[in-house]
Amino acid sequence: MTSLNGTSATPTPATNPSQLLPLELVDKCIGSRIHIVMKNDKEIVGTLLGFDDFVNMVLEDVTEFEITPEGRRITKLDQILLNGNNITMLIPGGEGPEV
Amino acid sequence: MAELQRGIMSLRKQTPSDFLKQIIGRPVVVKLNSGVDYRGVLACLDGYMNIAVEQTEEYVNGQLKNKYGDAFLRGNNVLYISTQKRKM
Repeated sequence: MTSLNGTSATPTPATNPSQLLPLELVDKCIGSRIHIVMKNDKEIVGTLLGFDDFVNMVLEDVTEFEITPEGRRITKLDQILLNGNNITMLIPGGEGPEV
Repeated sequence: MAELQRGIMSLRKQTPSDFLKQIIGRPVVVKLNSGVDYRGVLACLDGYMNIAVEQTEEYVNGQLKNKYGDAFLRGNNVLYISTQKRKM
């Protein structure tokens, strides 16, 4: 993984804290609600329990939304393992496409 | 679950593989990328999310279409695996 900042080693004032890596952001979200947008008009909202290097995600108390027909939703309790292959975007603290 | 863990920072998070160990033998819902839904008892699975399910019911658009004694689902098609206490 190449660094976006190149090799700048100059000391930085308070405007530029050390980089937050994407997986660190996901890690911070463990234990809270997360809204996941998939590739195919589907969204998932749940509590993040954990994930792995491939961003497969374990979620709890999950609501599944189909976006194209008028927001059909399926509510699932207990836990799911969501395959990371189809994930497009993660939104920490997101509520989902509530209508 | 070795494949799921073998990233650059291996063993960073155990949770997906832990989850999969926990749910063997439980009733699950497996949704495929195509939207088809399979409900049954999880017999076994591997790191590619290939799944073997027993007493499987196949739901297409929420409607029961088929029942299988044993079903094998290829992991590349799997969207999610869920344990099955649910309301719709």
